[in-house]
Amino acid sequence: MKVALAQIAPSLGDVDRNLETHLEFIDKARRAKVDLLVFPELSLTGYTLKDLAGDVALNPATDPRFKKILDRSRGLSIVLGFMEESATAKGLFYNAAAFVFSGKILHVHRKVFLPTNGLFEEAKFFAQGRDFRVFSTPFGRAGLLICRDFLHYGASYVLFTGGADMIIAISAAPGRGVAGADDAFETSRMWELMGEAMSYFSTAFVLYTNRVGIEDGVSFAGGSFIYDPAGRLLARAAYLDPEFLVRRFDLTAVREARTRRLFRRDEKPEVILRSLERVVRVPED
Amino acid sequence: MSLKINPAFVEKVLVRFIRDELGKHGFKKGILGLSGGLDSSVCACLAARALGPRNVLGLIMPYGGSFSPDVRDAEKMGRTLGIRTRTIDIAPQVDVYFAAHPTRSRVLRGNKMARERMSILYDYSAREKALILGTSNKTELLIGYGTLHGDMASAVNPLGDLYKTQVRQLARHLGVPASIVRKAPTAGLWSGQTDEGEIGITYAELDAVLERLVECRMTGPEAIKAGSPPAKVKRIAAMIRDSEFKRKLPPIAKLSSRSVGHDFLYPYDWGK
Repeated sequence: MKVALAQIAPSLGDVDRNLETHLEFIDKARRAKVDLLVFPELSLTGYTLKDLAGDVALNPATDPRFKKILDRSRGLSIVLGFMEESATAKGLFYNAAAFVFSGKILHVHRKVFLPTNGLFEEAKFFAQGRDFRVFSTPFGRAGLLICRDFLHYGASYVLFTGGADMIIAISAAPGRGVAGADDAFETSRMWELMGEAMSYFSTAFVLYTNRVGIEDGVSFAGGSFIYDPAGRLLARAAYLDPEFLVRRFDLTAVREARTRRLFRRDEKPEVILRSLERVVRVPED
Repeated sequence: MSLKINPAFVEKVLVRFIRDELGKHGFKKGILGLSGGLDSSVCACLAARALGPRNVLGLIMPYGGSFSPDVRDAEKMGRTLGIRTRTIDIAPQVDVYFAAHPTRSRVLRGNKMARERMSILYDYSAREKALILGTSNKTELLIGYGTLHGDMASAVNPLGDLYKTQVRQLARHLGVPASIVRKAPTAGLWSGQTDEGEIGITYAELDAVLERLVECRMTGPEAIKAGSPPAKVKRIAAMIRDSEFKRKLPPIAKLSSRSVGHDFLYPYDWGK
């Protein structure tokens, strides 16, 4: 299959303009015969929303702008980020990711881990998601994570035990630390480390689309990547600059990895669950 | 931890910051005060690379002494970069004020001069449709070594997250002449003033203590235990605390349920 990571710099709070960018990249993906196109976190809205969250929130089931994306998704899978306000949860604004295919929304993930410290203030403005779930796609099972979700390895563990062939993480990760020898922020290494570890030990593909551009002085680091189920880096986009990264890979690599390294076969989620239940019940055991 | 930076990468980030921030807000041109010192020279280099030299205007604003070595350095820097410069002597407007309101305080006079320069920069910003690039570095911002609404005023600040010693590393990478890199830093509040003389601590010492207190989040006693001189740690910690007001907009007395600055919260790059 052919995957494209759209490492873009969304405009802050301008859904119409971002919609245009999405449609352009969808056309581009179509021309490149891409099967799956992945945009970054909050790709329809920009990241540092603060009080704009409610203004840009939309219901993907009814919103005419979202429908434009659905209408262009025939035969093409698209993952995008948006601010969600559903009909049944009015006034609750979720940092969400949707997986759409051929006019249908296959899954919506609401970000669970909302960073709220230092320069991050998500929980101040956004409602919190409460679930990680694996779903079926035209090419096997997949799970969605949003930015900080990916840094909590329990989230990837749920997707792994749920049978995900592909962990798709979308991100708006700011770069921090400029002492490194590489041509990158030091924090980029943290994401790559997680990508390598999660792909290797989940024996699954990891697709990570990060954004670029600058909001209120904060530079988003870029460096989107794809790791294969053997923990090998298949491709990485530029740091800091926009890129349309296209890469073909073979999903049979998942089977190959799982017959070589039996983490998936030998996993015991029921034991982990029992142990976790005790941890949750008796936190200071 | 160390204050060593990768200057090539820092240049990349800051050039994008200047280009992006000005572009988003509809500006092609940048303007800054050029003193002939380190910070404004570095800022001018970055702006020239980000916007193209002809889109950068450096205002050289001495108090009298238009032929001083600093003015010559500033003009030379401007010529080397190929940016536009303009020299404006602020003495007439400063003198007329102090003739009516005399003072012997060098600090009062210096602050007034910094604010005159600011008012000229804002006037030229509007005339030229050029956004003002700030040149306050992290060391100055943290200890409050700057004139509020004077040299601290700007539209965007590319240097505000670099300590003075890091600005110096960046300057060497950018090819700023050694005479400027080595020059004793001065706020130019009066003739012969040097920052280090006035603060009573060298930038190397200051940055080493700030690194412990700010970057490593040490308490004062922890910084002292790690080897920083006790008197200097105490003094610097007090300077940080007592200058917080310079890093903030003034507090607004809250009355309603939605007040500017408290719970009316929008991004600076709103809609950009």
